[in-house]
Amino acid sequence: MTIVACSTPPGVSGIAVVRISGKGAIKNISTFVKDSPFDEKTPLSRVCFLVDRDGEVFDEAVITSYVGPNSYTGENLVEISCHGNPKIISRIIDLSVDAGSRLAEAGEFTKTAFLNGKLDLSEAESVASIIHSLSLTGVKAGVKNLKGGLSKEIHSIKSSLISIVANLEFNLDISEEDLQPNLLKQSGETILRVSKKLNDCIRCFEETKMFQSGASVVILGPPNAGKSTLFNRLVNKNQSIVTSVEGTTRDVIEKNINISGLPILLKDTAGIRDSGDDVEKIGVERSFVEAKDADLVVILNDKGLSFGDTKHIHVFNKSDIKTPDEKYDISISAKTGDGIKKLKETVYNSLIGSKIQTDTLIISKRQCNAIKGALKHIKEARMLLLAGDSIELLIEDINKSISYLDSITEKTTKDDVLDVVFSSFCVGK
Amino acid sequence: MVVGGGHAGIEAALIAHKRGVKTLLVSMDKKSVGRTSCNPAVGGLAKGQMVKEVDVLGGIMGFFADLSTLQSKTLNKSKGRSVWSPRSQIDKKLYEKIAQKYIKEQGLDVLEGEVVSLNIKKDSICGVFLKDGSEVVCSAAVLTCGTFLNGLIHIGSEQINAGRYGEKRAEGVTENLNSLGLKNGRLKTGTPPRIKRSSVNWKKGEAGYGDEKPSPLSYRTNNFSPKDEPCFSFRTNKNTHNIILDNLSSSAMYSGEKMATGPRYCPSIEDKVYKFNQNPSHVLQLEPEWTMSEQIYVNGFSTSLEEKIQLKSLKTVSGLEDVEFIRPGYAIEYDFFYPSQLKNTLECKAISGLFMAGQINGTSGYEEASSQGIIAGINASCFILDENPLILKRDDAYIGVLIDDLILKDTNEPYRMFTSRAEYRLQLRSSNADQRLLKKTKEYNLLDEKTVEKLSEKIEKTTNLVKYLENNNIYPEKINSRLEELDEKIIKEPTRMSNILKRPKVSISDMKIANEENKNVLTDHMEEEILFEAETIIKYSGYINRQKDEIDKIKVYEDMIIPEKFDYNNIKSLSNESREKFINIKPQTVGQAQRINGIRPSDISILLVYLKRPFHVKQIK
Repeated sequence: MTIVACSTPPGVSGIAVVRISGKGAIKNISTFVKDSPFDEKTPLSRVCFLVDRDGEVFDEAVITSYVGPNSYTGENLVEISCHGNPKIISRIIDLSVDAGSRLAEAGEFTKTAFLNGKLDLSEAESVASIIHSLSLTGVKAGVKNLKGGLSKEIHSIKSSLISIVANLEFNLDISEEDLQPNLLKQSGETILRVSKKLNDCIRCFEETKMFQSGASVVILGPPNAGKSTLFNRLVNKNQSIVTSVEGTTRDVIEKNINISGLPILLKDTAGIRDSGDDVEKIGVERSFVEAKDADLVVILNDKGLSFGDTKHIHVFNKSDIKTPDEKYDISISAKTGDGIKKLKETVYNSLIGSKIQTDTLIISKRQCNAIKGALKHIKEARMLLLAGDSIELLIEDINKSISYLDSITEKTTKDDVLDVVFSSFCVGK
Repeated sequence: MVVGGGHAGIEAALIAHKRGVKTLLVSMDKKSVGRTSCNPAVGGLAKGQMVKEVDVLGGIMGFFADLSTLQSKTLNKSKGRSVWSPRSQIDKKLYEKIAQKYIKEQGLDVLEGEVVSLNIKKDSICGVFLKDGSEVVCSAAVLTCGTFLNGLIHIGSEQINAGRYGEKRAEGVTENLNSLGLKNGRLKTGTPPRIKRSSVNWKKGEAGYGDEKPSPLSYRTNNFSPKDEPCFSFRTNKNTHNIILDNLSSSAMYSGEKMATGPRYCPSIEDKVYKFNQNPSHVLQLEPEWTMSEQIYVNGFSTSLEEKIQLKSLKTVSGLEDVEFIRPGYAIEYDFFYPSQLKNTLECKAISGLFMAGQINGTSGYEEASSQGIIAGINASCFILDENPLILKRDDAYIGVLIDDLILKDTNEPYRMFTSRAEYRLQLRSSNADQRLLKKTKEYNLLDEKTVEKLSEKIEKTTNLVKYLENNNIYPEKINSRLEELDEKIIKEPTRMSNILKRPKVSISDMKIANEENKNVLTDHMEEEILFEAETIIKYSGYINRQKDEIDKIKVYEDMIIPEKFDYNNIKSLSNESREKFINIKPQTVGQAQRINGIRPSDISILLVYLKRPFHVKQIK
């Protein structure tokens, strides 16, 4: 089946790319490409005229053909870079469908690539994250993984684990003598190192996931603290209505902003106070719900308010007219713009942490979960080691940990372990 | 028809005979039936477990070994209990004698003769041709040719055509099987020199004895009180190594001659010295080959060096200065058939009724041979009786791991079992072989009634004891003083005994001491074995339950059958490499397909799509 879709975002743009993939892709385009120079033997890139059913030229486009399996999807593939007018795009798609293709489902090109063995699972996930990533840093992370950055890190962790297993197996499985001295001590040290590395990976995920999916920041505080003024200041627009009447903002107002490349969904909320008004009450409740789910809460002018688990900063507003009687994290004036730059830096640093590692980048939640699973078993292995429990159980946990990591990269086999045993130990009486 | 009278052949022939199938064992030399060609021991790490499994399935290796034991010892006692492995030094002469006598008593027919080719009609076996031109008609055959197929012995640069030292090799069978489309390869294995007891200064060696309370390999053995003859360990030194290194060129391995691959786990002394030159010394175990035998086996000195170099280097070992040879060590090269050509029943995929077992399938070791022999024998008889074949899974037995590995993995060296090959080894213990397999034993009628009854009773008692420990509490005042002694946390409330028992330092005897009532339950009619097994079940239960979950998860794939004529060429999206592997191995189920080396999860997803299963990428929960 030949599939077709526009691969660039909808709307008017300079250039748009329409992709057609499938056995019949090249034949398919010959119905609307004037004097099509493409065949199913050689990949080619040419400037061509696109013609309507009645033979009238409607656009000039760069067309690139790929011959399967040497293409992204592993099948014959054509990419038409036309002008980004939605009418042109839909005409190309119509013509292609007329010639026998069907509209691709979301992600179907990548799925086809995966099914054809062009991508492994971790690579396929990286592609998805490049597509969905909201920031440049996120895209860079995705690209890095596509080149195997994550796989490499996981590989090195895995090989440390395999070497522990090999050591233990040698003692358990082959040597008929007593345990080697120092074996357990050394294993313990390696286990500690590995769990630190895995922890780093997870932290990395927590830190970098915001570059992909964005962070949510909620402004919270008592009525008339200037929440909406701050909101408007940060989004550079008069979006939230500002009055001196308490309880003006009753619903949550959201807007996407960007601080140093970090996509943020900023939320303005109803002021926190006891109110007789039912509508406002609901608004106040929603404020708390939003705050609980936020990545960061900016608390305005209320030193007494605090959240246990959620990250938060205390901000003193209206520095232009008064000074705080308590110590706040930062002092600003939303009205004059005083201290806003510093506030942005503080928000960024609270979300990302000062030292973001760019070496390891975890992409998907699934991968992070696998690493968490691996870590859990490594910790159990460490407990067993400390308790002096039997080595086979210890190996069991380490193996389990390895198999979690296997779900990110390729599989470790029993032979991999034996290979290490045979190359490191003199086996056999 | 069973061809070959080694460990695989004997098991296959005896079990088929026992199951009421008219059976004939053909051997080139009647006197060599049951011969142990290499080391004088049965069992050992992972192998002890297999002997126990064979025993429950009606095999005789453990029973013969118990009758000829020179020393019995359970290895790995200081390590985890699932890897405890019984091993017996045996009297090789006695073993052979007992085997031949037993075969006679059972009324199994043995024919002396050499099989040279098979009579195959319509892809089915219908007989074998002997060298004298006669044909023996059969409806199923088990080939157990060991190292005899085109066997070639190397001692230094000297080459001898032989199946074993001093025994004629078998010719014609390989070529005949090739002409039937079966592919063979070449493997190599070695054996150390045999020396004269009288030429050794024994005082220089360190004596090793067996266990004080030896445990038998066979469930049929009662009142096991074997001999306890010592083995002695000696050590090589720098001088020994230097002589070997200087003369590597005289070894068939290093003289540049193209030879088949040898086993990495049983390396020759030249391999050990060359590859691990940082080791200043290697251990040599001197083991008697029969009771107080003049012939001594030099374990650890497997070699294919020239005879005079073997002798010269051994003489540098303290205690062996005056050593004399009975015969030198040698390497032997032989034909094996790629076991990926077999089904998990050990029947050839291409020739119906033809089974293969033992070294012909690329394995090494008596126990590995015997394990395949018993399965091939049972399944050949099932074939004739038109019954469902016996297939053991990886979580049933080491034998299941062995066969699954053989038919799915590439064979680069002789295959030997290791406990680490079994992902479910925590539940594949030598102590519970009966629990794991008795159901099959009964189903296929493999063991005598008396033994089955004895084992059933033991299993029932164990299960009841586990239940008792899981369902009854122990009170703080009864156990806390003991827990303090063990430096364990004390309990504040009555606690299930099983929960206390799960702590690493606590043993079942602590429960016995702790409670009058327990004392009755635990000692009244319980043998040590049962107490131990119940304790193990409880201690390992957390891990074993986790493994059971895994097994259940993958069971779906084990049950998904790939049609025999499934055309992988239709799946364009498979990589060429994976497609080739699928075509060569022809996995019988999706589970098998997953375990083929180098097959990626995405290959399986594609396969599932084409098998019209829901598209599904396996993930860890």
